[in-house]
Amino acid sequence: MSARRAPRSVEPRPPVAITGVGTFTGAHIAERLLEQSPPPRVVALDLRLPRRLEGRVRFHRVDLTEPTADSIVAEILEKERCETVLHAAFFTDPCPDLEYSHELEVVGSLHVINASAASGVRKLVVTSSAQVYGPHPDNPNFLSEDHALRPQRSAHSLRDRAEVEGLLRIFAQRHRALVVTSLRPCWIVGPSYESAITRRFESARVVTLLGYDPLLQFLHELDWLDAVELALERDAPGAFNLAGDGVLPLSTLLRLAGKSSLPLPHPLLYRATYLEAIARTGDPPAALLDYLRFLWVVDTRRAREELGFDPIYTTKEAWMSLVVARKLRGYR
Amino acid sequence: MSDAKPPAEGGPIRSEALAELRASVRALRGELEQRFGIRDTPPPAPDSVDDFGPELAAPAAQTSPGWFEGIGRRLRARLEDLDVVKLYEALRERVSIPGAADVSAEVDEFGLDERYLLRARGWLDWLFEYWWRVQVSGIELVPDADRVLFVANTAGILPWDALMLAHAVERLHPSGRRPRPLVADWLATLPFSQSRLARMGAVRACAENAERLLLADQWVIAFPEGQKGALKPFRERYRLQRFARGGFVPLAARLRAAIVPVAIVGAEELYPILFEPRLLRRLVGVPVPITPTFPLLGPLGIIPLPSQWRIRFGEPIWFDDVAPERVTDPLYVNRTREQVRGAIQALLEEELPRRRSIFS
Repeated sequence: MSARRAPRSVEPRPPVAITGVGTFTGAHIAERLLEQSPPPRVVALDLRLPRRLEGRVRFHRVDLTEPTADSIVAEILEKERCETVLHAAFFTDPCPDLEYSHELEVVGSLHVINASAASGVRKLVVTSSAQVYGPHPDNPNFLSEDHALRPQRSAHSLRDRAEVEGLLRIFAQRHRALVVTSLRPCWIVGPSYESAITRRFESARVVTLLGYDPLLQFLHELDWLDAVELALERDAPGAFNLAGDGVLPLSTLLRLAGKSSLPLPHPLLYRATYLEAIARTGDPPAALLDYLRFLWVVDTRRAREELGFDPIYTTKEAWMSLVVARKLRGYR
Repeated sequence: MSDAKPPAEGGPIRSEALAELRASVRALRGELEQRFGIRDTPPPAPDSVDDFGPELAAPAAQTSPGWFEGIGRRLRARLEDLDVVKLYEALRERVSIPGAADVSAEVDEFGLDERYLLRARGWLDWLFEYWWRVQVSGIELVPDADRVLFVANTAGILPWDALMLAHAVERLHPSGRRPRPLVADWLATLPFSQSRLARMGAVRACAENAERLLLADQWVIAFPEGQKGALKPFRERYRLQRFARGGFVPLAARLRAAIVPVAIVGAEELYPILFEPRLLRRLVGVPVPITPTFPLLGPLGIIPLPSQWRIRFGEPIWFDDVAPERVTDPLYVNRTREQVRGAIQALLEEELPRRRSIFS
């Protein structure tokens, strides 16, 4: 697929385990791994298997929220002799069931981390999010990986993600032989990626906050998958910010897309949509709308230098690919 | 349209053109009839002009070409030239996204929009020449180096001083470079200001941003007095506050940037702040300064006083021969910081008596 991949080896590749194979990232990475020649054995762990992967991967039905999930996962990893684990069992959007969400994202991650340590895994790649830095008026224009993680207090899923990042850091310090990579993509967009963010920008008239015009970054879904693949291939420990090149103000993005904006004063909007947002995402509206107010732009230098990340799509191109795909699909 | 030419003049040309048109229409109609059997209108009677609309067949207009007729004809020609689709697009662009008219599709990594800046240049020039009548001295002292850090005094709530200083350097320095001002944090939370300032090149003041800008060989303007300076009461004007963070000295020393002290006289009278209640700040979340005009006259209170400005550049301070281990020495940093502060204060003391009143 991509020419940037390392030269192909002849000896069989070590098996790769993917937790959360039902997610966008998990399913697509499984497919990409199966396309390699020779394909590595893909061990899929999830509650359900996407139909197009049936019979092509070794599927184990595992519920990460079970109290003994760690020993179950460890047993599977040992039996299949997995060397690499991709942990992608996270919600794409904030789940309104706060307790289940916490159980899956934090406790589930803890189980995967402990199982990896117990079963001789060599590399653990975790799909995190750049949203863990949080949008803040006192953010620097470019957030580096060393910047403090300050998720908004109101955003439960981001608090959980930041907790997972903390667990990973402790884990990496304890097990220095293990390569622990956490990928922090900014907003992923593309023709097929669906999330609360893409839905927010789908309509012809986008609600914005009166008087605010933040700089935004986007990452194309193919660049995201490339980055995950790179992380699985190369040994690059640490956290990596991922984003497309360039930044653009929200108003310019909307104008490029031919959309109009509906600027509303934020105190009004925050109050008016409070109950609706709580019911839909479990968080007050500030959890999402603050991104349309304050600075939240990441620096991808480290990913370029150490991971070899080289996105094909710039922020503008990624955004336009989302817009064009949605237009064809009948949204305006 | 083919009838842009007034029908009154040039009889033969008109009849030739008419004959041609008539022939082509007849041919088209014939083809339609033959191919699709369409016969919606009766075939034209020979030499009847009525088919071609009332414009050509208005003999009354030809006989008395009055003044109104002339206007009407010209207006009609204008309207016919008008591209309705284009007009609609232009209107939609301007109306649908306020403030996004005439922005380019690219900004630099800190949000500077060249096209927006170009458009703003007109009124920046006007502010510079007529509103504040800025007099600049000592611009020849500004070195033509890769990295220059301007350090200036600040006052007034909105960063007019930053805009004018950047504008002065761009207009008068031979390199034509435009330094990028670092503006206070709280402006980032203030609606309407941040997006416009960012488009004009301003960046939030923090060490990471300053370092990134200097590493990219950009010129930077810092106001180390910070918020304390911006909100200082009127009675303390031109008295430099403590340099709040002062991180600019180790930064400039580490990156070998020249520090140019700048005194701005006139900007400290823009908004004479009487007081700034703590309680109100806590309630609203951003500082609310009370000036003679501000909450009283509503938005009119934002109009800055047209005082007369003097911008004076001082001798640059170089760090080329500073040993790397001294850069982190707190005593050295503090001494240099006070040196810069003293230089600016001295420039202010020199410039202040030179003006007769704040308006001249």
